[in-house]
Order: sequence, then structure tokens, then C-alpha cells
Amino acid sequence: MILMQRFAHVSDIHLGANSDPAISRLELQAFNQAMDECLKENVDFILICGDLFHVSIPDLRVVDDAVRKLRQVADRGIPVYAIYGSHDFTPGGKSIVDIIESAGLIKRIVSGEIEADKLKLNFFVDPKTGAKIAGISGRKGGLDREYYEMLDRESLENEVGFRIFAFHASLDEFKPQYLSGMESIPISLLPKGFDYYAGGHIHGRIEGTLPSYNHVIFPGALFGSQTRDHEASGKGEKRGFHIVSFDQLVREVKFVPVRVCDFIFRDLSVDGKNVRQAQEWLEENLESLDVGNKVVMLRVRGELSGGKTSDIDFGRLIRDLAERGAISVYVNKHGLTSKEFAAIRAAGEDAQTIENRLLKENLGTVKVSESTLKGEDGLKLAVSLLNALRPPVKAGESKQNYAERMKEQGIEALGLKEVFS
Amino acid sequence: MATEVCGQIIAGLVGKILIREKSGQRIELGDLLVAEDKEGYLMLQVFDLIYGSQITQLAREMISGMNLEGMGAGLEFLEPQLRNYIIAEAQGVLRVTEKPHVPKVLPEFFSTVRHVEAKDLKFLTVPPNPVYLGKVRSGTKVIDVDVYLDGEEALRHHMLVPSTTGRGKSNLVKVMLWSILGQNKFGILVLDPHDEYYGRNSKGLKDHKDAKVNLLYYSVNPPSGANTLVISVRSIEPDHLNGIIRLTDAQEDGVRSYFQMFGRDWIENIARGTDVQGVARSTRVVLQRIFRTRFGIRVDDQGNLVCANRVFSESAGESTISDIVHSLEGGKTVVLDTSKLGDEGELLVGSIIANEILERYQGYKADGTLEEKPTVSVVIEEAPRVLGQDKLEKIGDNVYSTIAREGRKFKVGLIAITQITSAIPRDILTNLNTKIILGNEMSTERHSIIDSAAQDLSDNDRNIASLDKGEAIVTSIFTKFAVPIQIPKFEDYVASQATQVTMKEKVRFTG
Repeated sequence: MILMQRFAHVSDIHLGANSDPAISRLELQAFNQAMDECLKENVDFILICGDLFHVSIPDLRVVDDAVRKLRQVADRGIPVYAIYGSHDFTPGGKSIVDIIESAGLIKRIVSGEIEADKLKLNFFVDPKTGAKIAGISGRKGGLDREYYEMLDRESLENEVGFRIFAFHASLDEFKPQYLSGMESIPISLLPKGFDYYAGGHIHGRIEGTLPSYNHVIFPGALFGSQTRDHEASGKGEKRGFHIVSFDQLVREVKFVPVRVCDFIFRDLSVDGKNVRQAQEWLEENLESLDVGNKVVMLRVRGELSGGKTSDIDFGRLIRDLAERGAISVYVNKHGLTSKEFAAIRAAGEDAQTIENRLLKENLGTVKVSESTLKGEDGLKLAVSLLNALRPPVKAGESKQNYAERMKEQGIEALGLKEVFS
Repeated sequence: MATEVCGQIIAGLVGKILIREKSGQRIELGDLLVAEDKEGYLMLQVFDLIYGSQITQLAREMISGMNLEGMGAGLEFLEPQLRNYIIAEAQGVLRVTEKPHVPKVLPEFFSTVRHVEAKDLKFLTVPPNPVYLGKVRSGTKVIDVDVYLDGEEALRHHMLVPSTTGRGKSNLVKVMLWSILGQNKFGILVLDPHDEYYGRNSKGLKDHKDAKVNLLYYSVNPPSGANTLVISVRSIEPDHLNGIIRLTDAQEDGVRSYFQMFGRDWIENIARGTDVQGVARSTRVVLQRIFRTRFGIRVDDQGNLVCANRVFSESAGESTISDIVHSLEGGKTVVLDTSKLGDEGELLVGSIIANEILERYQGYKADGTLEEKPTVSVVIEEAPRVLGQDKLEKIGDNVYSTIAREGRKFKVGLIAITQITSAIPRDILTNLNTKIILGNEMSTERHSIIDSAAQDLSDNDRNIASLDKGEAIVTSIFTKFAVPIQIPKFEDYVASQATQVTMKEKVRFTG
């Protein structure tokens, strides 16, 4: 008789993403609950497919909390394997994931080398189950695409045994509609015929299959790191992770829900109303809402017929809901405009989409002759520069070192290394 | 190319000028000839050749008889080059003085003519957004002058590529698409039922230096790096079926009811046999059968929604349509390998995308941003499947016929490829403002092409019939005359465009 083995597939935990202390606590609670479930189910190993933390060097309190739970898991003899996500990866520097690995609490399973323009990945073999894991970490701005294009798929496809491919990337074929503009790769860049494709990066749950690609799974964000995630939770999206039972083949893929609070979402259109009418209408609509012990997500949109959008007293609405017991209240006003005060609209809802849109709109207003500064090329360059200059000062880093680091990254992003060398 | 005199104008009228061929010269059908005068020159095109002789018919018959019966030893014509000759019938196609224009005068009587040379075609310049077609051809002789169309105009106003099989239709379109692939100015959607554009197993658009950035290839079994042609069944809307399949009024009402009730899940509910008030059970059963037989969509024994041709999926392909449309709007070429799909499956996929792009572009026009967008063109093979008179009459208008009729207002065009031009209604043919005519041995087809050409080709029936593989005539409202061209073989064209491979920066792998 073949003994069934099991592993947990978790991704996009994004510890430290939420600055609101109440939400931050829930975020940690979700992580703890997921790990507790893994302990209870006594899985053979846990695979985290990127974005354990929201930034590469997070707040040390967040790290401390996470390490305590990971210690508990390690003490029970359950190994935690991980790949970098686009958020916890840092080019050139050390990420907190590396430090936790050095402490022996997790194991990064991605390794390989480039030979003759081919990326040869090594399999990591889980000693207990014999499962073979290969994968590619996520990097910001889709920089990991090059690795996929260079990947020696044949050698991976020829390997025998139970194989898992871990990745942190959006796939064209499984991208949700709202992420259409997002950088992604076609699934054909992944090796065929693996038993399980453990994905991360997409924050919604996806369980799919395509010819030659069985069990392509994205558990989605464990709690959620951005407004859209919480809005989706408010619309009924379940958060959690997967436990996969296997012998030589996958026998069961079970979604394990993780619920640490209730979310409530309301889409409110104030189109055609003036400020006073909008204020009254919003208050009236929210009056009967049961918000006790819930995270409240409000999306207010439409074009005001009079007054400024900032004239609506959202503070009053939020205070009122908080007094009625809401854990936290978010108001998404990206779709709210005013006839009187037209501004460049950022219709996207996540930071990246908004940035891209604004850059694109503004690129159109700059007259330059250099083709690399225009159109899609210009947008790519601008995004890459923005990403290069985005990282905050590291703990203990001097101003001078930070300035130097930013300069270097900026030069690299602009492709001017040779000019400055 | 010889620059000497090859003939002399001896008679004729505006549409039919007679030229006596100089002995030792060779004037061919389709030749471009030049008659110069003090102000410039007239370019003529030969559309027929006949014999001329100073000797009476009876005498010629007698001489021939003597030769054939062995009684003509030593019998010769006195100064034969003067007595027997060839007369070319030509038509003035362009008068060039300071600039080219339609000829409205006859060339001088008895003026000599010569073969066209590259210097005579200097007015054929490279337009701002060039679509390459080939080189000017005079008869069978290729002149070293490139022929381009301005893509901005020509693609928006639709193109027709008519010919019988094996004359190089796909080769021509491949050359055209290659020439614009790097420009990033046109969004091209290719519905490729023979999987011949991308070049999966041979040279194709994938070999273009800008293919990595500007070309997307979707197939149900994609090679590595290409996209899977998989579309969420939820992307299909009732309007997408317009003109693709024939539905009775009751079935159409049924479809609307399901869409109203279930929104994006309407097909799933039809496939699952969910009952809807107001839709008769028999109608639902027929709809179930239609989706199963025409598009392969059904529910399997495990209760999963499956699609036999793998294109439509329950779990994948949510953003495929948006991604494709986004790419087209970004000036990219998107090739859909539809070789594994049935006719209706292919047309439905095309219909979904074409509808989406047309709707978006109509929106851009409404909000005044259309001119910032690249022109989008849809390449459709065997065009009568959607533009055929009988199809339109039986099933009604579809998005392709809408594009043909009014797409140019919204910068959405068609490149329609067909063997049977006569099947396309005249009002649509007239809207296809550029026709690149390849060889066609079928008289009825030639006539329907000639009747709808942008220039007067009424005397070119023989010319078109004699077009060899790779030879074509471009007739367009954007060309000064019907330009005879020689289309390069795609492989040769690609070889001539080869660029130096730049060294890639060494990549470092960080796990």
C-alpha cells in the first residue's frame, strides 16, 4: 500500500502590508491560523510561493511575530520551503527571507545556473516524501521573464518522480480579467508534464488545468494586501491555502479557508449628485448596515454635479461606522470625480495600475525625439526607474549610502552603466 | 533594362493606343512603356498584342502553304522587319509632368516609346507608414523600384487579396505584415486557419527582429513562449453569434433570456440544461445541441464544462480577449492559429475580438481620442465565409460586414483574402478600397474584380489571367494607377531584411 503524503501550498501572505494596526493584527492572525491548520493536518511540508512579507526589509515587529510561528512549525519537524516573491526579493541586497533561512526556519528551494544561455534549474528533493521541487522566484516589473525564456525545459520535463514547479508570476492563461494590463507570461514557458504547478503572485484563487499542465493552482492572497483584495473579500472571495495529497500523482487538492474576520463591501454611485446630496445619500445608505466586527470596504464613484470631491466629509462617515463597531473602514474614491474640478483620472484600483496609467497619460504630454522615451518603451523605462528608486532607506543605512544606492539603481534602470563606468 | 526605343505609336484612341513593335525588341503583355514629350511623359500599359503585316492575308496564307509543303526553298520576305511586325495595344495609365496625374491627352502621333525605367518611377516614394508590397513589374521584367502603400490609409480603408489557390496570397500578406511588424503603428489581427503566418516549422513572422516585442501568437498547442488560445466561455456574449450561426427567433429569444438571467454564465447554464422561465424545453435542448455541435461546448460525466476544441474554457482564458485587444491597441500583430478549430469556432473567436475592438474604437471616437490609436486591421482568409452574399442574406450581418461597411470611420479595417470575389456583395467590394489582384484563371472572378477596381481595368482581363505566381496588380484609391508588381518570395524577402544580431548582456541568475 502506498502511503498518501501531503503538502501545504501557501502564497502571498504579505506580512506587514497593512499599516492600520487593526488590519495588521488580522493579517498576522491569518498567517498564524494557516500555520496552525498545517500543524493540525500534520502536512509533510509547507511550500510558500512568494511574498511572505510585503517588503524585503519589513518592520522588525512583524518579522518577530512571523519568526515565532515559523519556529513552532520547525519544532514540529515540518519543513517550510519558499521562493522569493516580487515583494520580498531585493536585487543585490539581503532580504529578510534570507535571514530567516539562515536561522534555519525556512529553506529556499530555487537553485540553478546559466550555461550557454540556458537556465538549468536544479530540483530540490524533500527528504521525507521524495517530492522534487524546482522553481523560479518572482522579481519586480516582470524581470523574471528572462529566466523563463532561457529555461532548459527539456531537462526538467525528463526528470522522473513526483514533480512540483513553484513560481511567482502571473500566467496569461489564468490571469483574471481585471489584471489584463498586468505583466504576465504564457504558460508555455513553464516545463510541461509536472504533477503540480504551485503559483503565487495572483491574489485571487485559481484552480485550473490546461493540456500538458495539470493542477495549476494559485491559492491567492492569504489575507490581502491591497484595497482590491479586501473588496474582493467583501464580495465573497474566500481566502486560504491548499493542501495537496499525493503519492506518485496528485490525489486531492483541497482548499482550506482561512477566515479571521468578516468583510463587507458596498459599491456606491453618487453620479449626478452635488456634495450635499451625495453626503446625505451616503449616510442614508450606510445607516442600516450591520458593520459590527467587520472590515468595511466602500467604493464611492461617479461624477459630482457640483462641489469638490474633497467636500464630502468621508471622515464623518468613517467615524460613524467605527463607532458602530467596524474594525476598520476603507473608502475607495478613485472613481469619484467632479464636473467642476476635472483632474487626471486614475481608474485603476491598485497602485501599479494607477502608476502605469498616470505615467502613460503624462508621457503623452512630453515631446521628445528619442524613441525609447516614448510610447510603450517610454512607459517601461519610467516604470523600471520608478521601481529602482522606490525602495526606502534600509534600517541602519546612512543617508549617503542610500543616495549612492539609489544613484546606482537609477543608472542601471536607465541602461547608462557604461556611460558612468 | 534597355533604354532604346522599342516601338512607335501609330494609331488608336484614348483607351487603346496602337504601338508598332520595333524589330528585335520584345513587348510583353503588361509591359509599362513610356512616350516622352516636351512637358514630360505618358506611361502606357500593354493589355494586348496582335500581329501586323504589310502583306495581304491571302499572300501570307500562300507563303505559309509553300513553306509547309516543301515548295518554298529559298523563299524569303524582302526586308521582313518592315513587312511583318507586332502591334501592342496599350492604355495610357499615367501622365507625369511635374507630378503624376490621370492622363487626359493622347501622346504625340508617331512618338516613339521605350520600356519604363526606374528613373520614370521616381514619384513612387516611401510613404510615412509604409506597407511593402514588392517591386514594380513591367511584363515579366522586375524594375528596381519598391512599391509601398501608406498603411494608415490603406489598412483603414480595407484591402482585398483575390486570387485562385497557389498564386501567393498568403506569401503577399506575410510580406506585408513583416514590413509593418517593427513599426508598432498598426494592430493586426490574423485569423490563420492554415497556421502559416507565425512560422512554427518554417520561416515566418516569428523570425522578425521585433517579433519578441510586437508579435503574439495564440494556439491551442503553443510552442514555448507563445500563448495558449484559450478563451473563457464567459467572454462570449449573444451578439458575438450574430452572423456566425443561424438561430430561429425562438432560439434568439432563448439566448437573450439566458443572458439576462445568468449574465456571463449564460452558456454554462444552457450547457447544464438549467431551465429558464419563458424558454421552452425544446428550445433549450436545441440550444444545448447547437453549442455542443458547433462549438464543442458541453458538460462531461463529472459535471465539468468542457470544450472539445479546447478553445473555450470554464477556468482559463478570462483575460485573453482583453489581452489581445490591448496588444492590438498597442500596435502589435496578433496571430491566432485557428487550424484546430472548426469554421464556426474560428469565426466566433474572431467575432468576439473584432466586436470588442470595434466597440472600443467607437468609444474612442466618441470621446475624441481615436486619432491617438493605431489603425487595427483584421486579416480574414476565405472571406466569403463571413462576407458572402448568401451568408449575409441567410444569417444576417456580422461584425466583419459591419467593419467592411463602416469600420474606416473608426480606424478598423479588413484584409480580406478570397478565391471567390464574386460571392462578396458589390457594396462591400466597393468598400474594399485597395485590391491586390493575383492571377486568376476564372473569368467570372476576374470580371467581378475588374468591376470593383479603383482604376479602370476593363481591358486588363487578359493581363490578370496571365499573372504568374507572385505577380500582381495593385489597384487602389491610394495609388495613381494600377501598379503591376512582383511580390518577393517571403523567404527571400526575410533574407534581404536580415539584421546583425546584437550581443545580449550576460544574465545572472538569482534564485
